[in-house]
Amino acid sequence: MTVSDYVIQTRDLSKRYGSKLALRHLDLNVPRGRIHAIVGANGAGKSTLFRILLGFLPPTAGDARILGRDSQRLTPDDRGRIGFVNEEHTLPGWMSVQAITAAHRRLYPRWDQQLFDEVLGHYHVLPTQKVSQLSRGERAGFNLALALAQGPELLVLDEPTLGLDVVAKRAFLEALMYSNGSDDCTVIYCSHQMDEIERVADNLIILEQGELANMSPPEDFVARVTYWVADVPFKGPDPRTVPGLLQVQRLDGLHHYLVLDQDDSFADFLRAAGARSINSMPVGLDRAVNGFLAKNHAAPSAA
Amino acid sequence: MARTQALMLEIATGDARPISKQIVDGVRMKVATGELALGVQLPSVRGLAQQLGINPNTVAKAYAELTAEGWLESRQGLGLFVAPPRQRLSRAERDKRLDEAVSRFVHDVVALDLPADEVLVRLGLELQACAPKKTA
Repeated sequence: MTVSDYVIQTRDLSKRYGSKLALRHLDLNVPRGRIHAIVGANGAGKSTLFRILLGFLPPTAGDARILGRDSQRLTPDDRGRIGFVNEEHTLPGWMSVQAITAAHRRLYPRWDQQLFDEVLGHYHVLPTQKVSQLSRGERAGFNLALALAQGPELLVLDEPTLGLDVVAKRAFLEALMYSNGSDDCTVIYCSHQMDEIERVADNLIILEQGELANMSPPEDFVARVTYWVADVPFKGPDPRTVPGLLQVQRLDGLHHYLVLDQDDSFADFLRAAGARSINSMPVGLDRAVNGFLAKNHAAPSAA
Repeated sequence: MARTQALMLEIATGDARPISKQIVDGVRMKVATGELALGVQLPSVRGLAQQLGINPNTVAKAYAELTAEGWLESRQGLGLFVAPPRQRLSRAERDKRLDEAVSRFVHDVVALDLPADEVLVRLGLELQACAPKKTA
């Protein structure tokens, strides 16, 4: 692939806040097209990454390119090619919907009024309403309509459906996936809601402590995680010796293991540890991702 | 002339089966039982995606798999249709899958402690109900 086939490219990107590294030598290449979900525990570096990519924050080391441009040297024209919707859906509360729409229409040369009307048609929003009079869901829809109508090549959504009710969420996702404007647009989608990611994402990017931990279709990631239950005697093997361990629990005298990248040979490991009955099953996306993120979650060191 | 038939399908998030696999299983079942008859046209990728509230690429992936396995055929510029039946799997693969299915079934049923002949009669009826309906 050539450079322009990636919408986002970071090389050895690091960001330090005091003594804490928010991004650690991150090499991330996001190909053009489709919908990419980014997940990570709080503090994994998602917000820092977005701020650097949009040029709001300088990196400590390494570089970040967005649509082939250095993120620290974006021109107004470059910015016009990038749509951004954040969780707060911040817009000036005193302005009316039509005033903001008019301002955006003047600002963006590729403005698509038909698309704007189509997306906003999912919501009961009147042109004369002030932003402060809109519900959270309506504000989210209005923001998405503005971002799509500017005709972006890249749309960055940071937890866009946070706090929306079921109806507003559904309307938001429909507008995102089925409106004509989203066809030629690459979408980066940051969310903690696995049911949503399962419906929406072509690609699952997992950030963990400022590093890239996974980049694959969601179903490929899920296939890497399996759940085992075995009657290992006593306390069971030392967790540090369990291959691919994500989580272990002892319930009613049985050991429950969530493991990564283990095939049938994991049964041999359990048998060697003294297990007589061994059961395994696949898991859903929610359990796979949460187990994966919980693995390195900070815990008291006494364990 | 073939018309698009409604595809009564429900998918669940949070399942261990990915959504595309759920669609593949669902359509296969409907073709096998004759609910989707030979020559019937399937919903468009976008249409089914919207019906289920999922990414169109997921539907495209399921359709591609169903086409590769011979359940569906694409007609240039017209869409996807239920293909004429042919055995889609090798004999060895069918034997393997049957073994697995029987083993799962036996595991579940043996715990119920019911007479074997009663179980077999019931199983026979269920299989009959799934047989393609020759008359329509």
